[in-house]
Amino acid sequence: MKQIVGVADMKVSNNPTDDVITYSLGSCIGLVIYDPVARAGGILHYMLPESAIDKEKASKKPFMFADTGIPRLFKAAYAMGAKKPRIRIFVAGGAEILDQNGFFNIGKRNYLALKKMFFKNKVMIDKQEVGGNINRTIRIEIASGDIFMKTSGSKEVKL
Amino acid sequence: MTALDNMIREIKDLTPIPTVANRLLEMVEEPDSSMNDIAQIIQYDPVMTVDILKTCNSAYMGLKMPAESISDAVNMLGTDQIIELALVKSSAKVLSGDRKGYGLEQGDMWRYSVSSAVIAKEVAAQLGLNNKSTIFTAALIKDIGKIILEKYVSKDFKKINTLVKESNYSFREAEKKVIGIDHAEMGALIAKAWKFSPRMIKLIHHHHLRDESMMNDKEIAAVYLADCICMMVGNGVGADGLSYRFKDQIMKMHGISHSDVTGIIAEFGVNINEVNVLLKMA
Repeated sequence: MKQIVGVADMKVSNNPTDDVITYSLGSCIGLVIYDPVARAGGILHYMLPESAIDKEKASKKPFMFADTGIPRLFKAAYAMGAKKPRIRIFVAGGAEILDQNGFFNIGKRNYLALKKMFFKNKVMIDKQEVGGNINRTIRIEIASGDIFMKTSGSKEVKL
Repeated sequence: MTALDNMIREIKDLTPIPTVANRLLEMVEEPDSSMNDIAQIIQYDPVMTVDILKTCNSAYMGLKMPAESISDAVNMLGTDQIIELALVKSSAKVLSGDRKGYGLEQGDMWRYSVSSAVIAKEVAAQLGLNNKSTIFTAALIKDIGKIILEKYVSKDFKKINTLVKESNYSFREAEKKVIGIDHAEMGALIAKAWKFSPRMIKLIHHHHLRDESMMNDKEIAAVYLADCICMMVGNGVGADGLSYRFKDQIMKMHGISHSDVTGIIAEFGVNINEVNVLLKMA
């Protein structure tokens, strides 16, 4: 079944008939994790780097922010038997508008928030498709762990 | 006959947004129009009335008692809300199709337009603008030019895309260079043909801020900024992606800080259910 991850949302699955997909990432980040032994994985689609800007919204929508969403994604996969050393990681999104510099560059800041967190926790990214001015749709097949990406107007490709 | 002549003929063949939208926009501009006047205009259109009542009575709105008439709905939910629903319904038909030339699948443009409009309300509030319905509508229909231009974009997509990828053109600038007209100009022509107010035409024409001298216009800034934020959020974006220009001077000029922008994005994340309810009006 197709499990759709909305904006500020997360889905994790270990059902081999599932596909987890998130549409149209702009400056948002789609973080895909997968453990090939437990055959469990999922996607987090977050919009902003830090929950400190609005604690109330963060408690209502923890998947909106990198710092509140990322730990939940890993914990949900652990609950399905995934183990940290085996987890493979793919990152997509973090695009920017032309001439979007400095503080207003949400895409870059979203990506840096994730990098900082991964560095602290000694987690490595296996593959990434980040930055640029395109939007991306990403999908993972839970049975195989294969990841696919599509940009508007182009065909879906396997990564 | 030139390509532009053809395009102008195509505008004439389009089914326009129902006149009720125009009438409502006129009403909100008139200070002495009443809730009753607004209800009256909507009631003229039975299909719209039924759809608005259906949305008002959906679980999302959380009314204690069902609204049985537009007057009820206006009383319970307020004039602004009902006008918005009427405007969304009015534009649903023309915006909800696919636009393959822009890599937009069925429903993508609709999703983007409604998301943009919901974000624009927040931006308008941030900028202290009172005429939220005008800003909401401008954000909703600003890409209307794409419905004519998509064929031409499709034909010349490689040329346009090469300018964007290799010569630092924005997508709008590349449209203009290759086709001779861009989707913002085309949108303004359509809005003119459909007899929208000069202000609405101007907001559509400048929604990518083609002319930097317009930056100090607060309404243009609101529609422009809402579009940029919507691009970042990415809901229903096409092959043009985020290939438009971001002018951070406009932020300073209107006192919009970085945390204001993240606040608006976060608010959108919370309001995503509102977007989903509006999308169903198509």
